[in-house]
Amino acid sequence: MTGTVFDIGYQGYSGVREGRGRSRRAVFKDGLRAALGFGRGARAKILPWFFVFVLSAIATVMAIVAGAADRIGGAGTADKMHLPSYSDYNGIASIIMFVFAAVVGPELLCRDKRDGVINLYLVRPLTGSDYIVSRWAAFMTVMTAAAWLPQVILFLGLCGGDPKPAVYLAAHWLDIPRFLLAGLAMAAYTTTLALLTASFTSRRAYASVFLVGLFIITTPFTIGLAEEVAGTAGQWISMFNLTNIPVHVNDIIFGEISEITSEAPARLLAPWIRVAWYFAWTLIPAGVLWSRYRRLSP
Amino acid sequence: MRPVSGTPLLEIEHVTKKYKDVVALDDISFTITDGITGILGENGAGKSTIIKILLGLLQPTSGSARVLGEHASSSVATRARVGYMPEHDCLPSQVSAAEFLTHMAEVSGLPPDMARTRAADTLRHAGLFEERYRAIGGYSTGMKQRVKLCQALVHDPAFVFLDEPTAGLDPAAREEMLALIRKTHREFGISVLFSSHLMADVERTCDRIIVLRAGHLVHAGEVANFTRETELVFIDVDSNRDALVTALRRRGVVVTPESGGLTVEGSDVSVYEQVRDALVEARAPLRRMAPRRRELTELFEREEEAS
Repeated sequence: MTGTVFDIGYQGYSGVREGRGRSRRAVFKDGLRAALGFGRGARAKILPWFFVFVLSAIATVMAIVAGAADRIGGAGTADKMHLPSYSDYNGIASIIMFVFAAVVGPELLCRDKRDGVINLYLVRPLTGSDYIVSRWAAFMTVMTAAAWLPQVILFLGLCGGDPKPAVYLAAHWLDIPRFLLAGLAMAAYTTTLALLTASFTSRRAYASVFLVGLFIITTPFTIGLAEEVAGTAGQWISMFNLTNIPVHVNDIIFGEISEITSEAPARLLAPWIRVAWYFAWTLIPAGVLWSRYRRLSP
Repeated sequence: MRPVSGTPLLEIEHVTKKYKDVVALDDISFTITDGITGILGENGAGKSTIIKILLGLLQPTSGSARVLGEHASSSVATRARVGYMPEHDCLPSQVSAAEFLTHMAEVSGLPPDMARTRAADTLRHAGLFEERYRAIGGYSTGMKQRVKLCQALVHDPAFVFLDEPTAGLDPAAREEMLALIRKTHREFGISVLFSSHLMADVERTCDRIIVLRAGHLVHAGEVANFTRETELVFIDVDSNRDALVTALRRRGVVVTPESGGLTVEGSDVSVYEQVRDALVEARAPLRRMAPRRRELTELFEREEEAS
């Protein structure tokens, strides 16, 4: 049996046009794909998935160690030995989260500017505000997932590793909303700073190097200076350690001091100051980022 | 849904655009209906500025610009019904043409399944169907230009703006692009505003023409009328050139001696008859006679002289 292929020519589109809502969702979806390297070559996938793997591996190792301690020493041994847990994990992971945001975040904005794709977005039913909010939401989703996934692994590992999982769950269920909230705080802070820096350049490498340098330099600089200048001034200098800002919030959420901030003078400042400082470092950069893209629309 | 034929699609009324002391556009007014319209002008004439004002990317200093009856800068929804192919690079190198076009169709408001179908169809019409899953970074310049055109058409706009679509193309790729632009209107039914500094491209592709010079509107009308005004006959003789010039002028023919020959204004049959008679009278052996187009700069000089 033979068939015939007919060229039916150009067909106009008379279907539904979903307007700005669809445009925003499309930019959001593309942001997710760009951050995780989907629809791109293999090289684009290496960095994001490497970071997700490292973060998950840390949580897995922590869960295995705590589970082994409980199996060998009986239920509650890990708690008695003060082995690192949810709060400490966020402290340990904070530096990796910063580097993750610094390396992957600029991909969402820099490439659009360098390739000129941003010009195509702005002639479609989309404003500059729609674009940047959608991109921010996309990277925030990726960073939140990167913050939550290892905590979920850790929780399942600790719960499953405990000789009495039900008892563990009853004793630790409140840690679930805590690590979810702390993960959100970490993701919002790192996402906003990474995208704000990326908004100033069309070169991803410049943004990444600047951000990593900023985090790396402020940490030893503020620690050293805070030790020299004691008292309240030293505590405020310690607040400029950019990697510690969301960890202080994490400490407040969990009601304990994590390993990474246990020596930081800023831990002695009132909780509301540390929370306000966190919001200042998240909301002000978010406002600047938004205003930079809002201006792109006439 | 396409606008009714003959209704104004674009309306520019007394638009002036200033960048500090530089006047990029000076009190420009015109209306564009369906068809292919070319904006012709040298670099810096204001072609891209007009397109950006119509797209709402720039605000005019004074005057108003309407696209499909809506003010360009205030109606975000109207942008779903127009397409834009910029002059400069606008393509991501890492992704495939199919992926990119599907994304741009979604950004224009099409549902994902329809966006995929439209992307494949548009690439097929542009002759890129076989290459659609290759990363755009590996495409030739001509292919990239076609992807740029495809992204402007993928959501089936009522009107498409093409800013210097043949820039940087070799002759073969340029021909393909011009054919695709003609196809865009004649087969797809999408009206086109196409800017260029190449008169030949505009003449061969457009129904109407708008000529800009240094931010001023020099000419707006049908291409056929414009072409008549720009046609010349080039004559080269072996000897008796001066006698030929005298014989032509005596017959009322406008003739200009230039290096390598003479140019005579007009190209209709009567001009050729006058030339024939003048050649006989001047006993000038004809080496070459051919129709020729006036250069764009030459036209501007004439306008200046006339004013």
